[in-house]
Amino acid sequence: MDAFSLPFVQRGLIEILLLAIPCGLIGTWIVLRGLAFHSHAIGTATFPGLVLADGIGFSAALGAFGAALGFTLLATLIGRSKRTGTDSVTALALAACLAVGVILASDVFSSGANVDTLLFGSLLAIDSGDLWLAAGAAVLALAASFVFGHHWLAKGFDPGAADRMRSGSTAFDAALLTVVAVTVVATLGAVGALLVSTLVVVPAATARLFASRLGSLQIASVLLVAIEGAFGLWLSAQTDAPPGATIAVVSGAVFLAGLGFRALTRRSGMKPAILAAALLALAGIAAGCGSTGSGGDGPKVVATTTQVGDFVSQVGGDEVDLTVILKPNTDPHEYEPRPSDVKAVADADIVFRSGGHLDDWTSDLISDSGSEAEVVDLSEGLPVQLHGEDEHEHGHEDEHAHEEHADEGEHEDGEEIDPHWWQDPVNVRFATGRIESALADRNPGQATYYQGRARRFDNQIGNLITGIKACLRKVPADSRKIVTDHDAFGYFTNRFGIETVGTVIPALTTEAQPSAGDLAELEETIKREKVKAVFPESSVSPALSEAVARDTGASTDYSLYGDTLGPEGSAGETWLGSMKSNADAMVKGMTGGSQSCFGGASD
Amino acid sequence: MTEAVVIAAHAGLGYEGRTVLRGLEFEIPAGSRVGILGPNGGGKTTLFRALLGEITPLTGQLEVTVSTATVAQTDRSRLDYPVSALDVATMGSLARLPWWKKPGRAERERARQALGEVGLSDLAGRRFGDLSGGQRQRVLIARALTADADLLLMDEPFTGLDTTNENRLEELIDHLAASGRTVMIATHEVEQAERWDLVLCLNGEQISFGDPAVAISKPVLEATYGGHIVEIPGQPQLGVLPAHHHGEGH
Amino acid sequence: MIEWLTDPLAHGITLRALTEIAILGAVGGAVGCWVVLYEISYSAESLAHGMFPGLVGAALLGLPLLMGGAIGIVLAGLVIAVIGRLTPDSDDTAIAVVVTTLFGLGVLLALSPDSPPGIQALLFGDPLGVKDSDLVVTGLIAAAVLAVLWLFHDRLLAIGFDPSAAGPGGISPALVRALLLTLVAVTVLVGVQGLGNLLVAAILVGPAAAARVLTDRMSTMISLSVGIALVSGIAGLYLSFHARVAAGAAVVSCLLVAYLAAATFAALRDRIRRRSLPPGLPTRPEGARS
Repeated sequence: MDAFSLPFVQRGLIEILLLAIPCGLIGTWIVLRGLAFHSHAIGTATFPGLVLADGIGFSAALGAFGAALGFTLLATLIGRSKRTGTDSVTALALAACLAVGVILASDVFSSGANVDTLLFGSLLAIDSGDLWLAAGAAVLALAASFVFGHHWLAKGFDPGAADRMRSGSTAFDAALLTVVAVTVVATLGAVGALLVSTLVVVPAATARLFASRLGSLQIASVLLVAIEGAFGLWLSAQTDAPPGATIAVVSGAVFLAGLGFRALTRRSGMKPAILAAALLALAGIAAGCGSTGSGGDGPKVVATTTQVGDFVSQVGGDEVDLTVILKPNTDPHEYEPRPSDVKAVADADIVFRSGGHLDDWTSDLISDSGSEAEVVDLSEGLPVQLHGEDEHEHGHEDEHAHEEHADEGEHEDGEEIDPHWWQDPVNVRFATGRIESALADRNPGQATYYQGRARRFDNQIGNLITGIKACLRKVPADSRKIVTDHDAFGYFTNRFGIETVGTVIPALTTEAQPSAGDLAELEETIKREKVKAVFPESSVSPALSEAVARDTGASTDYSLYGDTLGPEGSAGETWLGSMKSNADAMVKGMTGGSQSCFGGASD
Repeated sequence: MTEAVVIAAHAGLGYEGRTVLRGLEFEIPAGSRVGILGPNGGGKTTLFRALLGEITPLTGQLEVTVSTATVAQTDRSRLDYPVSALDVATMGSLARLPWWKKPGRAERERARQALGEVGLSDLAGRRFGDLSGGQRQRVLIARALTADADLLLMDEPFTGLDTTNENRLEELIDHLAASGRTVMIATHEVEQAERWDLVLCLNGEQISFGDPAVAISKPVLEATYGGHIVEIPGQPQLGVLPAHHHGEGH
Repeated sequence: MIEWLTDPLAHGITLRALTEIAILGAVGGAVGCWVVLYEISYSAESLAHGMFPGLVGAALLGLPLLMGGAIGIVLAGLVIAVIGRLTPDSDDTAIAVVVTTLFGLGVLLALSPDSPPGIQALLFGDPLGVKDSDLVVTGLIAAAVLAVLWLFHDRLLAIGFDPSAAGPGGISPALVRALLLTLVAVTVLVGVQGLGNLLVAAILVGPAAAARVLTDRMSTMISLSVGIALVSGIAGLYLSFHARVAAGAAVVSCLLVAYLAAATFAALRDRIRRRSLPPGLPTRPEGARS
C-alpha cells in the first residue's frame, strides 16, 4: 500500500471515493432506465463546450456542463418524434454536437491541443476544483435520489402507467437527466470522455447481476465504484499505467467474472470462493508486472517534451538525473500522465517546460503533484517569437522587430505565441544558456562540466545554421516553397527564408478537419506555385497530405519532425539530427530529389 | 380416433436441472381443441416451450409428431414495426425454408391464402400496427398457418377481445380444428376451457386431463388454482380470479 | 450555376470523396435501417473504439493493421451479442461494458514500447484523404455487406418483429442478431477508415431515422434511407467545397437537416390526416411507442 503514501495518489483516491457516490447512485438509474448510451454520449458531446471555453476563455467544467445540457435539450427535442427510437435520437443529437464542435474547432477558433487534453482526464492530475465538483455531484445525487427516487423507479418499472398518472413526470425525467449530466461532467476530469461508462455504467451493471432490490443495488454499485476505482488506482501506481485505462480493464474483468460466475452457479453450483481466488490471482499477476527504476547522479530534472529532453541531456550529460515525460513520436495532444511521470515531477528539483499549449498540462501536473520544483519555461524571453499562424504565412522580413519587443517574454492578450520555437536554432542557443545556468545554480560543483558541454552544443548549433544555409543555397530562390501538414515550421521557414505556401490541417487539435474548398484551393496554389513536395509530419496520419500530393503530382516521400523527435535509432533521435533531417527532406522535396543536405540525413 | 400429435409419458419439464412441471401424461389426437388451465407460474409457458422444441424434457418423454407454431399475445408485438399484415403472414414461411432461401412468390401466395383463411384478405396491405387487437391476432394465426404448422399454441388469445372478436376467434379455432389442425389454448377462464374438446389442468404438475365434463371439477380447480379460487355469487359457474392477470403491461 | 456544380468534380480530392461517400452512403443507409430497427445505434457510434486492442495487437505481432482492426471490431460485435443475451438489461449496457473495457485494454497495450505512435489515428480517416485503392476495397466490402443484407432481409425483418417467430425449423434469433452486429462492425470499420468516426455514426443513423418517420414499409424505408444518405452526402461535400466548412461536419449537418425536415414533414402529415378522418376513429394505435 506504499502507493497511497504519494500525495497525488491520495488526491486521486479521494476523488474516486467522492465520485463513487454519484456514479454508483446515478449509475443504477442509468442501467435501469437504459441510459447507458445517453451517458456515454453526454461525455463525448461536451466537445463543443470545451472548444468554446478554450476559445472564449472560461472554465472548462462550465463549458462541458453547458454542452451537456445543450445535448440533453437537443435529444429531448428530437425525441418528440414518436417514431424515432431513443437510441437513434441519442446518436443524432451526439452527431449534431460533435459536428458543431468540429466546425468551431476547425473553422472558428483554430483550436489548439489543449482542447484535446480536456477530453482525456486523469486521476493523477486532480486539483481542488475537480474535488469540489465531485463533492457537489455527490451531494446532488444523494439529494435527488432521496427526493425523486421513487418517481424514477415508477417510470422505469412501467413508463405507460407513470405517464398516465402525469404526476409531473417530465419534470422528474428532466431532473434525472440533469443529475446524469452533472455526474458525467464530474467524471470527465477523472477518466476522460471515452471512459465515462467505466464509472457510471459498468459497476452498476455488475451489481445488477446479483442485487435484486433497488437499495442493495445502489449500495453495491457505490461500493463497486469505490473498490474498483481504488484498486485500479493502486494497480496503476504499481504497474505505471494510466489509471483510467486500468480501472476500465479492472471493472470490465469484474463484470465478466460476475457474468461467468452467475452462469456457472446457475448451472452447476460453483462456489464463490473459486471466483474470489481467480480474481485475487488476476490481481496478483497484474501487480507482479509492476517495476519502476531510474538512475543517474546530479539534480533530478524533468523535461516535458522530447526536444527539451534532448537539450537538457546535451548540457547536463551524466551529471543530471533526467526524466522526459513525452515519449518519442507520441502525439502530445493525447497525452495521459502515468504514475511515474507524476512521481518524477513531484520529486524533481527542476522542471524544464517547452511552453505554450504543447505542454499546458504541465502546470496542472506540477501543482497537483505537490512538487516544489523550480519551473523553467524555455519559451520565455526567446530572441525570436512568432505570433499566430496568419502572420508567418506571409513570411517575416522584419525579424528584428520581434527580437526587440520579445524581451518581456509576455505577449499581448488573445495573441498566442507559436510554441514551436525550437525550429529556429537561434532560440535553441538561448534556451541552452538558460538550461546551463539553471543546472549550475542547482549543482554548483559541476558548473564547469555543464559549461563545457553547453559550449560544445553551442558550437554544433552554429555549424548547423551554417550547414543548413549553405545547403539551401542549392535550391533556386523561387523554389523555396513548402506545404506542410500543420503549421509547426514557422520558425524554421522564417529563419531560412522558405515560404510556407499552405498547410493541410486547419487547426492543431486532432479533431479538426479541413474543408473540401480549402484543400481544392491548396491544390490550385501548389500547381500555380509549382511546389514540388508536401511534407507530412512524422507523428500525424499522412492520409490527407498524400491525397493532396497525388492530385498535384507533388511528392510526400520526405517527412518532417514537427512536434516530437523520432524514436531511438531514427535520424531524428536528437534535435540536431531532426533539424538536419528536416533540412535534407525539404531540400530534396523542393528540388525533386536532385539535391540533398548533410549527406542525405533524412534517410 | 385419429392418431395422436402430442404424446406425453411421465414427462417432467424445467430449466437448468430444476423441474417446474412434472407428471405429464396425455395424448392429444389430431384435430382437437385443447384448453390449458392453470395459474401464472403453473407451467403453461414451460409446456409451450417444450412443445416448440426450445427445451427438452428432464425426465420421461414428450413427443410432438407435427410442426408447431406459437401465436403470441399481440400486446407483446412491436406495433411501430414497419411491416404489413401480408409481411407478417409471409414470415411464417421462414420456419420451413432453408436459411439461404428467401420467400418468393409461392410463399407470398401461401401467406395471402392464409390471410383469407382467417378472414383478412382485404387488409393484407394494412400496416400491422394499424390493425385492431383482434385483427392482429388473426394475422399471427395466419403466420402460423403459413408455417404449415399443424399444432398451434395460443397464449391467452381471448384476453382483451370484445364479444364480436371473441366469437370470431372461436369460430376460427373451430374451423382450424375441422381442417385437421390441433389447437392448444392457454386460458384463465374455466368457462372458456369447458368449450373445447379436451382440457389440461396444470399447477406445477398435471392435475387432470380429458373431456372437460369429466376433467373439470371443484376439487380439480382447487388443486389447480389453490386459494385463488372464488365462487361468484349468483353465477352457477365457477369463476377464477387470477392473482396477477399479466406479469407485465399493467 | 453549372460551374457551381462542376467545379468540385474537377478536383481529384472532392471526386474521390464524393465516390467514397456515395458507396458508404448506399451501404450505410441500408445497414442503418436495421441499426435503427434493432435499436443498436450505440454500437454504430462506439464499435470503432472497440477495435483498439485489435489494432495494437496487429502492430505488435507485425500483422497488417486493417486485419487487426477487422478482427478486433468483429470480435467486439460478437462479444456484445453474447453479453446482450446473458444480461437482464438492454444491449446498451453490454455495449458500454465491452467498448470501455476494450478501449482501456487498447490503451494499456499501446504502452508497449514496440507499439507505433498515434496508432488509433491510423485507421481514422477523413473523406478528403481517400485513396483510389481505398475506393476499391470499400466498394467490394460494401457489395458483400449489401448481398448478405439482401439474402437475410426477411429473417432480419421477422426476428426484429418477434424473436420467437423463428420456429423450430428456422434460423436462431441469436444467430441473426450476431450476424447483424457483424455487418454493423464491418461497415463501421470501412466507414471509419474512409470517413472518420463522427461521419460513420451519423450516416448509419441519420438517413435511416429520417426514412423511418416517412414510411411504414421496410423496403421503401431502405430505398429512402439510401437516397437520403446519397443526397445529404453529396450536398454536404458541395457545402464543404463552397462554404469552406470542415468536410465531415458539413455532411453530418446535411444529414441532420434531412432528418429534421423528414420529422417535421411527418408530424404535419399526421396532423392533417388526423383532421381529415371522421371523429372517433383511431388514427394511430394506442401506445405505438411509449
